[in-house]
Formats: sequence, structure tokens, C-alpha cells
Amino acid sequence: MDLEILKEKFYELVAPSLPNEWDVEEALSPLASEKEARVDDVFSQVPAIWPVSHSLCFAYLSAAGPALIHLAPEELSLWVHTLLDRYEKGGLRSAQLFMADVERHFVRHLRGQGGLQFGEVSGRLQPYVNGLAGRELVLVSSEYAFTNTECIFLPREIGLFSKNEENFLLYKLIVSFQWATIKAGMFTTPPFLSAVESDLPPLEIFFSQFADPGTARSLYHFFETSRVLIFLQDELPGLMRKASFLLPHLPLSGDSAATTTLLDRLQQGLLRDTWSVEKKSRVDDRAIALLRRCQRKEADNQTSLNAVSELMPLLADDEDCSKTEPLIFQGLLRLQDVRNAQLKQRKEREIQFIQALTAHLKNFSQQPDAEKVDKSGEKSAAAGHQGQDVAVIVETDKVTEQKVQPLTSVRIDNQEIPLSEELIELARQIKDDIGTLPDNYISSAAGQAGEGYSATNPAVPADDQGATGPIVYDEWDYRRKGYRKNWCVITEKEIPQVQSSFIEQTLIKYRGQIRRLRHQFELMQTNEHFVRRQRDGNDIDLDAMVESLADIQAGRPPSDRLFIRLAREQRDIAVYFLVDMSNSTEGWVGKAIKESLVLICEAMEVLNDRYGIYGFSGMRRLRCELFPVKRLDEPYSLAVRQRIGAIGPKEYTRMAPAIRHMTSMFAKVEAKIRLLIILSDGKPEDYDDYKGEYAIEDTRHALLEAKAKGIHPFCITIDRQAHDYMAHMYGEVNYIFIDKVSRLPARMPEIYRTLTS
Amino acid sequence: MVVNYNSHSYCCMKDYFRRKIMPGRQFRIDEYRIEEEPYYLPTGDELAIAEAAYEDGAPLLLKGPTGCGKTRFMQYLAWRLARPLITVSCHDDLSTSDLVGRYLIRSGEAVWTDGPLTMAVRAGAICYLDEIVEARKDTTVVIHPLADDRRQLPIEKRGELLTAPPEFMLTVSYNPGYQSVLKDLKASTRQRFIALSFDYPNQEKEIEIVCREGGVEMDLARPLVKLAVMTRALKDSGLPEGASTRLLIQTGKLVSRGIPIKTACRAAISEALTDDHELLGALDEMVSSLF
Repeated sequence: MDLEILKEKFYELVAPSLPNEWDVEEALSPLASEKEARVDDVFSQVPAIWPVSHSLCFAYLSAAGPALIHLAPEELSLWVHTLLDRYEKGGLRSAQLFMADVERHFVRHLRGQGGLQFGEVSGRLQPYVNGLAGRELVLVSSEYAFTNTECIFLPREIGLFSKNEENFLLYKLIVSFQWATIKAGMFTTPPFLSAVESDLPPLEIFFSQFADPGTARSLYHFFETSRVLIFLQDELPGLMRKASFLLPHLPLSGDSAATTTLLDRLQQGLLRDTWSVEKKSRVDDRAIALLRRCQRKEADNQTSLNAVSELMPLLADDEDCSKTEPLIFQGLLRLQDVRNAQLKQRKEREIQFIQALTAHLKNFSQQPDAEKVDKSGEKSAAAGHQGQDVAVIVETDKVTEQKVQPLTSVRIDNQEIPLSEELIELARQIKDDIGTLPDNYISSAAGQAGEGYSATNPAVPADDQGATGPIVYDEWDYRRKGYRKNWCVITEKEIPQVQSSFIEQTLIKYRGQIRRLRHQFELMQTNEHFVRRQRDGNDIDLDAMVESLADIQAGRPPSDRLFIRLAREQRDIAVYFLVDMSNSTEGWVGKAIKESLVLICEAMEVLNDRYGIYGFSGMRRLRCELFPVKRLDEPYSLAVRQRIGAIGPKEYTRMAPAIRHMTSMFAKVEAKIRLLIILSDGKPEDYDDYKGEYAIEDTRHALLEAKAKGIHPFCITIDRQAHDYMAHMYGEVNYIFIDKVSRLPARMPEIYRTLTS
Repeated sequence: MVVNYNSHSYCCMKDYFRRKIMPGRQFRIDEYRIEEEPYYLPTGDELAIAEAAYEDGAPLLLKGPTGCGKTRFMQYLAWRLARPLITVSCHDDLSTSDLVGRYLIRSGEAVWTDGPLTMAVRAGAICYLDEIVEARKDTTVVIHPLADDRRQLPIEKRGELLTAPPEFMLTVSYNPGYQSVLKDLKASTRQRFIALSFDYPNQEKEIEIVCREGGVEMDLARPLVKLAVMTRALKDSGLPEGASTRLLIQTGKLVSRGIPIKTACRAAISEALTDDHELLGALDEMVSSLF
């Protein structure tokens, strides 16, 4: 096809944007040689990609031609779908890599021949490893397998075996093995190294004493691996039984090399039990004997260190074992990472301990405890009340020195302060790590507690009423049948309170109606009533009993329903009203909405249902705004009324992010019935290309998500005439359409009543 | 023998009434006596505390996760003290009459029938209200006068005020793990009790219990307990409660009846703990790693 025609078509697709001509030309030129049908296929995906990223779209156009060689036309949309997912997760670079090798990254997976991806297994293995470790041990995808004792890093993909079950087993083996290295103490510092002060990890100091530290490290890693495998056999026999079929088939770097190193031969021997007979030397014999020693039950990492010390002098000078690749499950030995993680943890524990102790001390000194003052005398009173200018004498408990009993109290100013359970546990962890509880931890906590206490104003509780930080939500794109990740940003904004006569006027205008409404709503409130003629119950139903006695007298079979039961109905309902504050509600519509809010609030006050009111508006995806008028458990106060008075038309109607935000807020609410009532006029629409089918489909999807979470959405829509899209967007029975705005205030409480009873 | 007034469903309730109403079929207090020594392995000083509370006439509150041995402890205590044990499993429709008693119609007459609590007070038995937080809040209030030094039970409908004999003991249990605002014990109720906290026994003791109760060998009990410890570590990964000792015993029993161990674990542990697909997968991986 001609490039000019292509360009024309492209500009049509991306209108109203006008990308640079040279960019377009460059991206389209590879397509110029393609057939028209193919170009149409490629172009059909542009509307899905263009709004996500322009540069991605150009990259797509350049890559699409070659990609089509591997792809059937019907596979193209799936490919684009995966491409967009990649882009949103890993950026343009990741997307380009994905496009570069269609065969490997896509087609093979499509045919079920691809390896197993990290993402496919992490859901299953994460809780598995948490269970093994008894704590959160985060799985992270990476180039190689290794652990820093806080996370386990796993290869992004394993495609070593043709069957995915085997690939999965290998993943599982890696996870279990990495956990076992921590558990079996591969990273513990042996006693003879613990005294050395250095920035290097202690084991690294050990390796550096040899001429070839790399070989020493590899050998240590190998000996430890053999020990950990034995540990695993004991700990997880089922896994190791299964893995025993797998281990001999793992590729080794010694397989392809012309000359094998000692480590290669050891690896082969360990995994395949093929101790090569002909090449056996004295060194090999010794190494095997040392390996056996490390595999004994009572061995620890000291055994492996000794083995390395013994073996290193025997090695030939040109023996470089660090060339040998580590076993795939063994991964890398990254001691510096381990050390960094440990230091970080130590720092975190210190902060945690000081914070907890500070809080504890504050509580302690605030207790009006006469006995305490008696015991500690004036000195403690001074510590409590004058703050900074007091000397804090710190003395850890004598028990600490014995290292047997856990630390249960600290002494500050000669005063014994018992620790809380949390602090005892923290102190134990710190002592496990560094051997003792440093004095400065306690003194800084004591100092902070003193300062905090002497300050006259008590700590102000965090103000959760203020505007919250931005929260992001996905948005549904019907063209790609998938979500645009983290697309919309919701910000909660405070609505100013306005003093106006609006509420009073409304109350006067609808006073008759309000009285009637209150009465109607009171009837709904009945939550206790007697049910008569029950088979069992709290009391005897005298009417039923008289009847049944009469029946007996008359010779008829008496009823056995002789009891009264007190039945309770709990109206366990939580409702959010979501109010459209878009520009189009200006005038009559806005006023009617506000009036109906006043009416519903007046009526709701006689019910015990919890309800909240939020307004929404905004412009573009990055500025979706939500205005809390009344939070769920906030009383219907003057402030709320003034906020209702302040509701006014703002900007556009991007409804779906607001719905998604309400859905996530409902997740924190415990109620039997959770109702989301949306008040809106007309179609969802935003300033950018959020309109028409796209907006309708996104809103529909947001409502479906809410339903899936057990929320009942109901929409009250005010419009001049009913539209076809409404039933599609809201669902056949989940909306009501009101054409006469003036009727809204009267209808709204009525709608609520029918919805909830 | 322990008879639960388990009226989670009405058919149980009906059963209870039918038996009550049927002539000549009254529960006698002797039926609640525990003849044989139940197996219980003490894990601390809970027995000494409970017996001291009994001597003092103080009520007892047992808290702890499901299946860690609260009920078994009560049976053992009742056997030690040689008192009948009346257990009531509480539920959200349990009314005061269900505990205290009510008038029933029998052959044209209204006859008063004692509820389990009244029966226990009259006979000087141990009344055990299991999962007390499940009961309606207004129901729990009736135990208040019984649970302090008055030790009295007013029966309003009969105008009777029962004073409990020294042998009577009130115990309640609840599981603080549910962490729901709705399912918490009122402070006024809670502060009347001597509280004993139960947890799963330590590994060695748990192995012993699983061996003994589940009828399995040490070699099997050990990995079973290991599995349980792993599942209990999944609290932050979406499993609110890990496998209880009771589940382990049930698994052991399945195995000793000839079910293969992995199948038994799947049926008695994994599937019992969760419906979540990924967690089930993770539990399966643990099982296949251990056995």
C-alpha cells in the first residue's frame, strides 16, 4: 500500500491528535510493503494502544509487520492484549523486548510450549514458603535464584523441561532450597569470625584469606548445598523424593566444557551419582570424603568451612572452580545482600524497639500509681514531669547477663519498669541478633518519652477527616477487553461548609412530606415482633392452646403449634449515596438532587441504617475528585447540612472511578446488605476521549465489579427521556429513570424504602 | 456422656423437645456424668487454676483457637471433680428461655421444664457455655448473677430464685481469633471470670496427643504437626486459622483407617481450612513436600 494512504488512514484513527509527520512516516514505512488486509488488521489495534502510549503505538507499528509472520490474524488481538499488559507492568522497554521475539515470548506460550513464568507460580508458592518459614518471605522475580534472608529471588521463567509440572517442581525445589539455606544456617557467622570488625560480610573475610577467594566461595557454597540437601531430605522428604527424579536431569556446566574442574566433577557426582572412576585423583578422593563429612547429620556450616580450608591448599594453581556455574536451584551466594538485609533488619528493630518502649514508658508514667511514686521517690517524679533536664540512669536488668531468661524489665532511674509482651519479644529478637540489648536503645527511648511527656499539648490524633492521598484505580477498555492499569487517580477533597438558608427552605417546603416520610420509615424500623403459632418458642401462645384444647375435646387432632416466639430482624444495612456533581447538573437538576438528599437524610435519621453521602466530579483521568458530604458513621450534624448546601456543579462525569472507590470503601464495611445508590443525570463523560461507548462500558464494568463484591448498586438517573444504553449500563432492574426533576425529592425516599424492605 | 444442646438447626431443637415431651423420657442428670477418664495432656498450670477456681466458686473463662482442647479440658476437669458436665453450644438465636427453661404443653397441661443452665444449678453440675460470643448479647446477661458472688439464678417465669450449691460451676469459652467487633465479649460479662488462655500445645506435646488420639505412629505424627505449624504461619497470607490439633487427630484417624496420607491431609486439613484456590494449592505443596 502507498505510504500516503497509510498515513491518511492513521491520522483518521488517532484524530483529534496530530502526531509529528516524520514519526508517523518512520513507523509506517515497514508496513508499506504489506497487503491491504494485513494493514487493516494491524490498524484495527491502534485505537486500543494509542491512548495508552503514543511511543508504544509507534513501536507497535514498526514491529507489527515482522510479528505477523508468526501470528495468525486472529491471534493479533491477543498479542496486543499481552503487549499492553507488559507495557503497564514493565514500561516501554519490557514491551519492546516482548515484541522483539514473537516466537519465544508469545507463540510458544500460545501453543503451550513455553516455560513456566514466575507470575504463574508465585500465587501458589508464596503462601507455601510463608508456611515453611513461619514468616513472610517475599518471592521476587529476578535473573537468578538467590536469597538475602528477607526475600527469595527466583528466575523469571523456567523452561528447562518440556512438561510444566516438572518446571513447577523445579520452582518449588528452588524455593524450598533457598528457604532451607536460611533455616539450616548457611549464612550464620561461625564463632571464630564473629569478633572480627569489618565492613565485609564475615564469611567473605574468611574467603579472602585464600589466594583464590572465588574458588573458596564456590566450594563453600557447594559443600553447604550438599548439607542443605540432606537437611531437606529430613525436613521435606516428600519433596526430595519427587525431586530425585529431576536432579539427574539438571544441566551442569561441566557437561559441555572440554576440561572439567573439581567442582564440575563434584556436581556431577552429587546429582548423578557418577563418580568418574578413571579420572579420580587424590584431590578428588579427599574432596569426596569431605563432602561425605558435610552430609552427616551433626554437620553445620563450620564443617563446610573446615572442608574448604582443608581442600584449598590441595588444589592445583590453575584450578578455577568459580568458572563452574552453580546448580540451578542453588543459585548465587550473595553474602553482601544477606548482610545488608540483616543490617536493615537490625536498624528496623532498633527503631521499633525504641518507639515501642517510648510509648510504653509514656503510658507507664501517666498511670496515677501512688505506689510507684513511693518506690521510686522524687527522682522518678522529676523524670516524668520535668523532662529534658533530668539525668536518665540506664541500667539493664541483671537477668540480661545470664542470657537464659528473657528480659522482662528495664531499669530507668532506679525504677524497675516491666516490659509489655511485644517489647519482651522484640528484646529477645535483638538479643538473638547482636547478643545483648544495647543500652542506648533504652536511653534514647527514655529520653524521647521524657520529651514527649513534658510537652504541654498531648499528641494530636491523626486527622483522618482531612483530604486523603491519591488512590489509583484501573479502567476498563472495551476495545482491548482488559484493564488499563492504574489509570485513574481519585482524590478525596473536603467540601467547604456553606451557611445558607437552603436547608431551612427545603424543610419548610416539604414539611408535610417529611412528617409522612418519618412515619413511613419508622414502620420499617420494627426489628422485634412476636410470631404466633410456632412449634417452639419463648412462651405459650394462649389462643393456640385454647384452640387446641377445644380440638381435643371435640376429638379433632390438635395442632402442635402452641408457642409464641420473639423474632428479631436486624436491619444490618449500610448505604452510600453517590451524587453526580458534574456541570450538567446546574440549575434545576442540582437543586432537586440537593433537596432529595435533605429529605432522605431527614427520613434516614429515624432508621438505624448507616449511610454516607459522597459527591463526585473531576476532569481527566488524573483528577477524579470525590467530595465526602457525610461519611458513613458521621452523625447528621450541622456540618453535614452545610455541606449538602454547598453541593454545586463542578466539572465532568467520570463515574466509574468513583464507583470503584466506593466499592473499595465498602470492603471495610461489615453489613448484611450493602447498597450503593447513584444519583446522576445522563451519560458518563469526561473532557478527554472518555465518552460514548467507552465510558458506558467502563461504567458498566465498574458496576459489575461492585456486584461481584456483594454490593447492590442502584442508579437513579434524571434525564428528559429514557435511553437504550441505560439498561445495558446499569442492568435491567438496577436503575430508575426520572424525567420530571421536580418529582425526585419525593421519589427518592420512596425508592429507598422499596429497596430495603 | 456429654449431650450437646446443639440447636444450630431446628431439627436438633425439635429433637430436644420431642425427647423432653415424650412421657418417661426425661434427661437425668446422671447421663451427664463422665464415667471414663478422658485423655488430656496438661500443658501448663491450667488444671491447678481451674481446680482452685472451683473451690472458690469462681466462674471460668476459656479462650483459645478452635480445636486446641478447650472442650476436652472441660471434660477432663468434670471427670476429675466428679461432677456432671452440661454443655450448651451457643448460637445467635439462643434465647434466655433456651438456657433457663420454659413452660411446655404436655397432655393438655402447661408443665415447666428446666433448661440446661437451671438443671446444672439444681444438680450442682458444671455448665459449659461453648462459644459464648455467638449467643445474643441479651442472653449472656442472665448468667451475670450466677457469675459473681451471689451465685443466684432468678427464674422470672416461675418467680423462683435458685441459689447455686457449692458444687455448681459456670464455665464459658470463646475464640478471640475472629476479631470481629460484633463478636466480642462485653466487659461487664468478661470481668466476672477467671480466664485461662489456651493455645495449641508445643510440638512435642502435640505429637504425643496426635499419636495417642489419632492412633498413628510417631513417624507420621511428626510431619503432621509440622504441617499444622506451617499452616498456622499463614495468618498473614489469608488463612485466618491454621490447622487445629483436632484436625490433626482426625487426619490421623483417617490414615489409621487405611486412607492414604495425602488424601487424608487433603480431606481433613486442606479442604477443611480454605476454599481459596491458591491457598489450597500452597497447602497441597506443603503436604507433598512433607510426605
